[in-house]
Amino acid sequence: MGIESENKEIEKNLRDIARNLLQEKKVDAILGYSKGTAPLSTSPIIIRHIDEVNKLIWNNLCYMNLAKYLVPRIPQLKSPKGEDLKIGIIAKGCVGRALIHLNVEKQLNLDNIKIIGISCNGIVNRKRIEREIGEKEIFEVSTSENNIMIKGKDFEKKFSFDEYINELCKVCKVKSPPKDSELEDIFIGESREMKSIDDDFSDLKEFESKSPEEKWQYIKELLEPCIRCYACREACPMCYCNLCFVDQNKPIWFGKTTDLSDIIIFHLVRAMHLAGRCVACGACSSVCPMGIDLNMITRKLEKLVKERFNFTSGLNSKFLPPMMAYNMEDDEEFMLEEN
Amino acid sequence: MTIQAEKEKKIKEWEPKIIAFLCNWCSYAGADLAGVSRIQYPPNIRVVRVPCSGRVNPYFIIKSLTDGWDGVVISGCHPGDCHYLTGNLVARRRFAILKELLEFFGIDPGRVNFMWVSAAEGERFAVLIRKATKIVKELGPNKKFEKKW
Amino acid sequence: MDQKILMKNEIGKLYIELAEEYNFYAPVINKGNLIYNKILNPDEIILDFYNSKIPPKEILFPKMETLFEYKTDGKNIEEIIERKDLDEYNIIFGIRPCDAQAFMLMENFFALGDIKDNLFLKKKENTVLIGIGCNIPKSTCFCTSVNGHPFKSDYLDIFMIDLGEKYLVEGISDKGKNMLEKLTWLSKSTKADIQKGEELSKKAEESFKTKLDVKDIEKILEQSFDHPIWTEISDICMGCGICSFLCPTCTCFDVIDENDQYNNRGRRIRIWDTCQFCLYTLHTSGHNPRDSSIERCRNRILHKFCYYPKNYDMLGCVGCGRCIQLCPVNNDLRKIIEKVNKIKEEEKVNA
Repeated sequence: MGIESENKEIEKNLRDIARNLLQEKKVDAILGYSKGTAPLSTSPIIIRHIDEVNKLIWNNLCYMNLAKYLVPRIPQLKSPKGEDLKIGIIAKGCVGRALIHLNVEKQLNLDNIKIIGISCNGIVNRKRIEREIGEKEIFEVSTSENNIMIKGKDFEKKFSFDEYINELCKVCKVKSPPKDSELEDIFIGESREMKSIDDDFSDLKEFESKSPEEKWQYIKELLEPCIRCYACREACPMCYCNLCFVDQNKPIWFGKTTDLSDIIIFHLVRAMHLAGRCVACGACSSVCPMGIDLNMITRKLEKLVKERFNFTSGLNSKFLPPMMAYNMEDDEEFMLEEN
Repeated sequence: MTIQAEKEKKIKEWEPKIIAFLCNWCSYAGADLAGVSRIQYPPNIRVVRVPCSGRVNPYFIIKSLTDGWDGVVISGCHPGDCHYLTGNLVARRRFAILKELLEFFGIDPGRVNFMWVSAAEGERFAVLIRKATKIVKELGPNKKFEKKW
Repeated sequence: MDQKILMKNEIGKLYIELAEEYNFYAPVINKGNLIYNKILNPDEIILDFYNSKIPPKEILFPKMETLFEYKTDGKNIEEIIERKDLDEYNIIFGIRPCDAQAFMLMENFFALGDIKDNLFLKKKENTVLIGIGCNIPKSTCFCTSVNGHPFKSDYLDIFMIDLGEKYLVEGISDKGKNMLEKLTWLSKSTKADIQKGEELSKKAEESFKTKLDVKDIEKILEQSFDHPIWTEISDICMGCGICSFLCPTCTCFDVIDENDQYNNRGRRIRIWDTCQFCLYTLHTSGHNPRDSSIERCRNRILHKFCYYPKNYDMLGCVGCGRCIQLCPVNNDLRKIIEKVNKIKEEEKVNA
């Protein structure tokens, strides 16, 4: 089946399931994606009435991680009386991982959540395509066979699907939400229980073999355009702190300016806070207005916890994330020792 | 070189400034023992006493580097000997993550060093501080986070 | 004054002549993003573009700006150093009419009241805006709906129309006319050039795909502060800073003191801030009147379409479309205005 027909099939099933859930009052609202009005965009949507179900779509531009809307910091999903709504959430693999991990961190009340799992075959790298199209206006985006077709004002361009999806999607091993005993779910397509993933992180080998100076130059060039809009932080389902570390001002730890050192510190500390928690959904890179691709950092975070603690976030509710635990037998090869 | 010229050269030669977070029960006592036993070690470290290595927030380490410190040393009790039972185990995981991430971002890994020193290991403390100072001195001054005004 | 002609291949000459006296800012591509930046080489200038990603407000109202610096002797302040670069002359080349209108809105904001913002006003006084009309507006542009026009030259010093191989140049303000008089090597324009310019203007005006009805928006918004529509409008907003940071009229800023104690110096700086951040209205008591995205989204729309007309008699939105293109959740301003206008219709039906 081509990508387009797969998507259409998933979309049809999605709408049927959403309709059933709303009809049988099993959920109060459905959280999904709807068609975007700007090029290369889709818009998350909260559907409360059954006649709006046809607004739900599924395609390769659904880059937002919907689990963000379920964390306690976002109070939208409450009834007028202030009670939690029962939500049906449309979950591709990384959204499912985020939900499981949020459950482990006790941020969700799972009784109110039903996961509609779907198998995702990759999200289009919208910032890369925008950069390559340059100063031309894009009107229509579609997928056909193995290509992404971009139609715009006076031009048409084809991109290879396998090459122009997000870097994280290229190496993704969790395409549909992992099955977990604590989550009640309805699946379309496949779902399987996963204890761990098989990944050799060969895409990081080249970067890790660089000298510290080269790495610093690369990171500097990568992060320089940052304007500190915090879209990456807001799009990330794991960034749910009531007071983010950059906003602390009694005392001020790290600057909020756009000085290069402040920018690098922000991304370094944010990466540190996401060690063992990041689910590699790529939303941070997809929403960045300046087109900064944080995939390297994300991959490093996954590699770090896999190699040191044999842990991958969001696969199973039973395993504790590494930063919430400790072990006498941890590796300590980095410690300074007498010769 | 005359004695005067040698003296001047020593004064002008750059010496790294290293901040050391020492846990109160083991490492600080170990450092104290080194002092009492008159064991010589480089005077580059400035000590901050913390109750446990687990108290050391990674922010302290990063803020030290951004403020211009050339090196950071964190020292705690050996695993299993922590006065608060598990503080140093928690800290060890934090240090592992931080060290790998600092290395990934291109900040010389030799600038931040961790060690276990118990209260009876005065000589070991001096040896490790000598080693850490040597590593940091070879890396040169920390100019990466300098803000241009 | 007669309109002149500047050939596209003469822009280098223009740069060389002006760059000695002025800081020359022009659209360039930096890491894949089109922004306005100070150029050192006229070959960097991009002439074929819709509009920049970061609005040119960045030049006169930067993301991070030092208000003053001070030196200490360890304990007490020895010396306070004021800004010295406010007397420098600037040229912003290639600005669009919507962004120029935004500069006027910003000037009104910074000049309002007894205490004026000298940093911005002084710099603006010393800046020459050379604008280029939009022959092909983007589908998300809607300047004609908000008292703008792709060829509006009112807020520019020099206005240019792209005729293909050359620009038709007109001095608008005294500053602009004086500058053009010094550029004696510019060729004369012909009647055909002027006519082509007028044709392009009309064509651009008719090509707008987005038209917003903002006739009664001020009144509707004033009366619908507590309307339940705001819950619907804001339910997907995440509270990032993209719409306000990249809006050419947004002016909010935060003031921070930085202390470099080891070097005996410090400075006070201001950085961009936005009402969309959840801590923007956090009081020291702990109370936050804009606690959720409902109040924050509502504030942004009211600010642009209700409070601005009240305070300055001008709509606070210039129709550049950046918020529509770059919002990560595609919370489209056009849809929001449509929904707000429907309130009036609903009330008519219910009455």
